[in-house]
Amino acid sequence: MALTDADLVARVLLNDDHHAFAELVRNHQSTVRGLLRQLVRTDVSLADDLAQETFLRAYKNLRSFRGEARFSTWLYRIAYNCFREEARKRKELVGIDEAQLAAEPDPHTVDPALKHDLAHALQLLPLHERTAILLCCQNGLSHDEAARVLDIPLGTVKTNVLRGREKLKRSLALWANN
Amino acid sequence: MNEDIPNDWLDTRLRDEASYIDDAGFSALVIQKLPARRVRRSYRAVILLALTVVASALAYFLSGSGGFVGELMMRFAVMPLSLMYLGAMGIGLLVMIGGIFAAISKSGQHLR
Repeated sequence: MALTDADLVARVLLNDDHHAFAELVRNHQSTVRGLLRQLVRTDVSLADDLAQETFLRAYKNLRSFRGEARFSTWLYRIAYNCFREEARKRKELVGIDEAQLAAEPDPHTVDPALKHDLAHALQLLPLHERTAILLCCQNGLSHDEAARVLDIPLGTVKTNVLRGREKLKRSLALWANN
Repeated sequence: MNEDIPNDWLDTRLRDEASYIDDAGFSALVIQKLPARRVRRSYRAVILLALTVVASALAYFLSGSGGFVGELMMRFAVMPLSLMYLGAMGIGLLVMIGGIFAAISKSGQHLR
């Protein structure tokens, strides 16, 4: 029987069990790395470095995880903080490049595949809307959980998700009937 | 408003977009960078206790099977009372200083 996140966390805390922590990393590496890749946008190795830092911080601060939220939500919060710290150092990670916005392509003519169009549309969203969309729509967090991860009011998360969705829908309007 | 595209459709496409990222050694790299495992407190206590017992046994046999204890008692018996009080006060002072240091270092760890 597979152990739950709570079981694995308990093993790490009680016995400093590296195998249990490795299991936690294996279970969550894909979503954490995926989220960071979407936030960082282009630099995959930077995203993986941040993911590594996320898990190392999680290990060091595991005692502060009280099990009130899901372990994945707690991890996303650390990942987002790692990203924010990096973004303070590198301005290109925050906001949207105006030139990129101006060059927003027609999804029908530039990218033939919906997947590509969606990825492109996501990249064009401002950071706060992209993050809210990634957490709530892609990773299945509730608005409340996302608010905790991002440390912003619940209403702001809802607004960001709504606006982000509208922009994505506008970008993908031509795919609506497919 | 874009009423043509339902939220469910968009969310499904977004979830499809997040394809699984293969571990490819990532977890192993993280585990490699973890700090070395701590010696468990219970093990530490057992090790300390065992060392104390061994050292005591060694001292007992090396000093002629405890003959020193009787001699020590004799010396204490003839010792002036004022010297005994002074000794007791000195030991009490040392224990108090040790306790204060332990309390300070504990509270420092707690605040960190």
